[in-house]
Amino acid sequence: MIAMAALQGFDSLMSGDTVVAQNIAFGILAVVMIVAALRMVTTGNVVHAALYLVIVLAGVAGIFILLGAEFVGVTQVLVYIGAIVVLFLFGIMLTRGALGEDEEADTEKRRMAVLVGVLVLVVTGGAVLDSFGDAAVNRAAPSLTAEIGDTIFSQYIVPFEAVSVLLLAALIGAIVVARKD
Amino acid sequence: MFAQAETVATPEVLWWALVPLLVLAGAAVLLLTVASLVRRLPEWLPAAWTIVAGLAVLVSVVPLWNEVQDDGARSFLAGAVGIDGSTLFVTALLAVAVVATALLSRAYLTREDLPGVELYVLLLLSAAGGVVMASANDLIVLFLGLELLSIAVYVMAALHLRRIQSQEAALKYFVLGAFASAFLLYGIALVYGATGATGLARIAGYLSTTILLEDGMLMAGFGLLLVGLGFKVAAVPFHAWAPDVYQGAPTPVVAWMAAGVKAAGFAALLRVFVLTFGSWSGEWQPAVWGLAILTVLGGSVVAVVQTDVKRMLAYSSIAHAGFLLVGVQAASDRGTAAVLTYLGVYTLLACGSFAVVTVVGGAGDDRHGIDAYRGLGARRPWLAGAFAVLLLGQAGVPFTAGFVAKFGVIAAATEGHSYALAGIAMVSAAVAAFVYLRILVALYMEDRHLEDDDEAGAVEVDPAPWGPRIVITVSVALVLVLGVVPGPLVDLAKDAVPVLVGG
Amino acid sequence: MSVLASASPTFPVLPALILTPLFGALLVVLGPRRRPELLKLTAVLATVATGALSLWVLLAFDAGGEGFQFASRHAWIGELGISWLFGVDGISLFLIVLTGILFPIAILATDPGHDSRAYYAWMLVLEGGVMGVFASLDLVMFFLCFEIVLVPMYFLIGRWGHGNRTYAATKFFLYTMAGSALMLVGIVSLAFLHADATGGALTFDLVAIAEAQSIATETARWLFLAFALAFAVKVPIFPLHTWLPDAHTEAPTAGSVILAGVLLKLGTYGFLRFGLYLFPEATHHFAPVFLVLGVVGIVYGAVVATMQKDLKRLVAYSSVAHLGFIILGTFALNTEGIEGGLLQMVNHGISTGALFLLVGMIYERRRTRQIDELGGLQKSAPLLAGVFMVVMLSSIGLPGLNGFVGEFLVLVGTFNAHRWYAVVAAGGVVLAALYLLWAYQRVFHGPAEGDNADMPDLCLREGLVLAPLLALIVVLGVYPKPVIERMEPAVDALVEHIERHVDGFEEPTSRMGIDISPDGPLDGPADSEEGH
Repeated sequence: MIAMAALQGFDSLMSGDTVVAQNIAFGILAVVMIVAALRMVTTGNVVHAALYLVIVLAGVAGIFILLGAEFVGVTQVLVYIGAIVVLFLFGIMLTRGALGEDEEADTEKRRMAVLVGVLVLVVTGGAVLDSFGDAAVNRAAPSLTAEIGDTIFSQYIVPFEAVSVLLLAALIGAIVVARKD
Repeated sequence: MFAQAETVATPEVLWWALVPLLVLAGAAVLLLTVASLVRRLPEWLPAAWTIVAGLAVLVSVVPLWNEVQDDGARSFLAGAVGIDGSTLFVTALLAVAVVATALLSRAYLTREDLPGVELYVLLLLSAAGGVVMASANDLIVLFLGLELLSIAVYVMAALHLRRIQSQEAALKYFVLGAFASAFLLYGIALVYGATGATGLARIAGYLSTTILLEDGMLMAGFGLLLVGLGFKVAAVPFHAWAPDVYQGAPTPVVAWMAAGVKAAGFAALLRVFVLTFGSWSGEWQPAVWGLAILTVLGGSVVAVVQTDVKRMLAYSSIAHAGFLLVGVQAASDRGTAAVLTYLGVYTLLACGSFAVVTVVGGAGDDRHGIDAYRGLGARRPWLAGAFAVLLLGQAGVPFTAGFVAKFGVIAAATEGHSYALAGIAMVSAAVAAFVYLRILVALYMEDRHLEDDDEAGAVEVDPAPWGPRIVITVSVALVLVLGVVPGPLVDLAKDAVPVLVGG
Repeated sequence: MSVLASASPTFPVLPALILTPLFGALLVVLGPRRRPELLKLTAVLATVATGALSLWVLLAFDAGGEGFQFASRHAWIGELGISWLFGVDGISLFLIVLTGILFPIAILATDPGHDSRAYYAWMLVLEGGVMGVFASLDLVMFFLCFEIVLVPMYFLIGRWGHGNRTYAATKFFLYTMAGSALMLVGIVSLAFLHADATGGALTFDLVAIAEAQSIATETARWLFLAFALAFAVKVPIFPLHTWLPDAHTEAPTAGSVILAGVLLKLGTYGFLRFGLYLFPEATHHFAPVFLVLGVVGIVYGAVVATMQKDLKRLVAYSSVAHLGFIILGTFALNTEGIEGGLLQMVNHGISTGALFLLVGMIYERRRTRQIDELGGLQKSAPLLAGVFMVVMLSSIGLPGLNGFVGEFLVLVGTFNAHRWYAVVAAGGVVLAALYLLWAYQRVFHGPAEGDNADMPDLCLREGLVLAPLLALIVVLGVYPKPVIERMEPAVDALVEHIERHVDGFEEPTSRMGIDISPDGPLDGPADSEEGH
């Protein structure tokens, strides 16, 4: 659903002129995100890493909002920060005793990780540049949350219902797996 | 804001076309509700309920089929969902597989002393996911259908709580399946990026009318979609999960995986690649060509060295996926009809074969080594005879339905001038025949020395309960009948070639 | 299509030939498990009925008629243009009769010992499949029947065979299945290319495709190779023969009889019907290869047979040599050679079938087939020795017995076409005399010791089983004319077909003035057509 909404939001980005204030805000957000992202992979404390991830994801949400895609921005906060990072933190707390620095957080897989990261960057960046180049962002029609709501409950009603059934299946699954025989 | 809400235009819904889906989902929810409210549910009820639901779907498909044949395919819900011949064909296959799985599960759960309502609920939900996939007219819908199908199956694989292999299988399946879903989703995103649409009809329209100067993103999208769907149908090299999962999961669930999940996966492949990306077939055909060769050869060759019958059947199901890919590769109406025919035949073969494996597996579901089948021909002539027919059918021996299926895909490949592919597929079918012969040897040709050992090595096989018995009888009969009179199935599949309708 | 039009009787005798044994198989399967004698009776009745039908076909066959007789056609998969299409001509006629005669004999001759029901059912299914191969005029039908015979034979070898039966059965199945894998691709490609070239609907009708000759030369050669591989494995042609000694040796007696008598002919028949007829140019192009392999097979089979210690294995290797002759005759591409090959197919079926029966009878009495454990059997079983002698001489090709006529025609045909091949092949005849006579000497002559001394002679049942084969050996040796007469039109038409479609090819005919065709100097007034 998020992916779809994000895709929809993308459409509306593709025209219009840029606004200086937004550019400045974007610059600040970008710098914060890059620093946070770097700290996230270099810090030795897992909990800190998760918190840095929160900053990165919040930055993404901020960029969405800057582009006028409030719905996506809010969803980003709800799902990623509200659910996924919290899940991470739960996981860390449930599985680890000490929450301090961890020497073993650095492994020799570091080089592979760098390689994979660079590859993902190149592929994603390449694909985006390849397709959009320096096309200007369309700001004429900022997406309205109401429109998204309309779409979800009309055109995308089947996917929406499918998601609910899917969650039902996942719920039953969780119970079945967790149940003591 | 509220004023706007009143203007929401509700899209057209063809309720009659949604009947199979509603029956499956409704039956699942109802069963779950009843099971949670009623303290002691009769043991037979969930299975009977599921079977009735499956049969109801099967019955409901008939008028829909006539409607579609008379008035053509439709799409509705603003182009998100479509109904055409292939939708109904695959829906019918899924319904058959649901009925077969339910029949097997009842016997299995009783024998293994497992609580079982969840299995049936998940089975119905999974089938609903399959139907969503088969009727998807939009990549997002397709993805959701796939997830619904998969998540239910992950849990079904884990259902035998006391067998550690069952848990292991589920975990492997889950991790790799989630991985595959990620690929698929990424592929969808890239295709959306390249074409500006997620609706299949709009993508097809865009691709056939637009010349893309920069097609890198689209190609990457094709690739990722192929990887994602390749995982789901267990095509080599994305097959690694299949043998472990087939070996570990409860046998009736494996029957569903082999029959239902495969049918839904190929329905998706056909809709996305052959139908939607049809005008770009020159770009993706080579990839599918390579995948098909790797899959037929890989499945057949590795199957030869297995000693566990469930693993053998897992690899053979990989080889079958390769044959199906041969039909997909043809990217033609004949190829599509051949794939649908093959799916129909394979549904029968898989349900029947795994029914036999369910029976032979015995209490504990762990007698799957080839030794368990030794001398079965002498001790259980009818069971062994049925298994022999099913194995010969899988080998594609003439006058079984298996030959008709193989003939169809080979014809489609040769019509598309893919002679090398057709040749390699046939040669690996000969290799795969060795696998089936090994089981046949165990069934029939090693009985004498058992008598010498005073049957010391013989494993006693309990008589088949009526559920598996029905599945085996019906599938064997159909495999033989369709082998001699294949016309009806071939014609149905030909009429079921999918079409894209607006959106 | 006109080729099919001639002589359509109201009774569909060819489908009946296929369905009668299958119906018998059904009866056997439903029959009482604990009454093997009743099952055997059913099986015998079914095969005798089929044999009678095949004889009826022989009698009703119009000797001078051209093209396919008793043709019948029923659509099977209309969508793909596949139909049940049957017909008989002079080429398939005698193979059908041979099948009809050998099956009741094979079933009467031996008992399976265990699991009678399955045994008889598989034998009957096998007969249905073989009849289907010889009668089919639709490429897919032919392939179906060609493949389906593997299954009953696999079970017959694997369940009722001797010592190493599982290995032999699996090897047999896999070799032949792998061999024919590409043929299916060839068949389908041929049909599509034909449909493309002629612009017509998809059809697998042999006659339509063969008469149109619509395939480009280069493509046709590839397709021919796809077909040829399947047939070469089935024949088997050296060096693809390694499955044969194992399968023959481990098979039960009846299995060996059928395997040698009928199944090997599926390959040689395939070469004639689906090689020469479908791809005349490609056959002509590749003929030298097959001639060489045929000659190699003759010599190799003879040499290896000489060295065998196991009597059954010896007979098996002699088959390799005999089939080399058939291949040689077929690829000589003239009337004498092809007729000789055809005749040799029938002869080999009779004499090698009889040899396997006899070896089986010896094995039943002595529980061994090792030549050096046998000896002096002539004293204890003079009748058996006598029959063995006649059959062996027929196999060697003694004038006056059936083997001579076929071998002689093959040699004449080859001599006219490729002199030196004939010379080498004639050496093979000498070798055959050597290994068979030597084997006979070791087994039947000399002092009889131990069990050999009091081995019982042929009983009445065995005598009755062998009698028709002996009669055929003598009759066909003395008076082959009716057979050759019926083969002649079909073979002539085939040779003409080759001449018509291969540029610059002319039938290599008698440069030495030898002409033994029935219409030639030996038997009566010369046909005007034989003038060239």
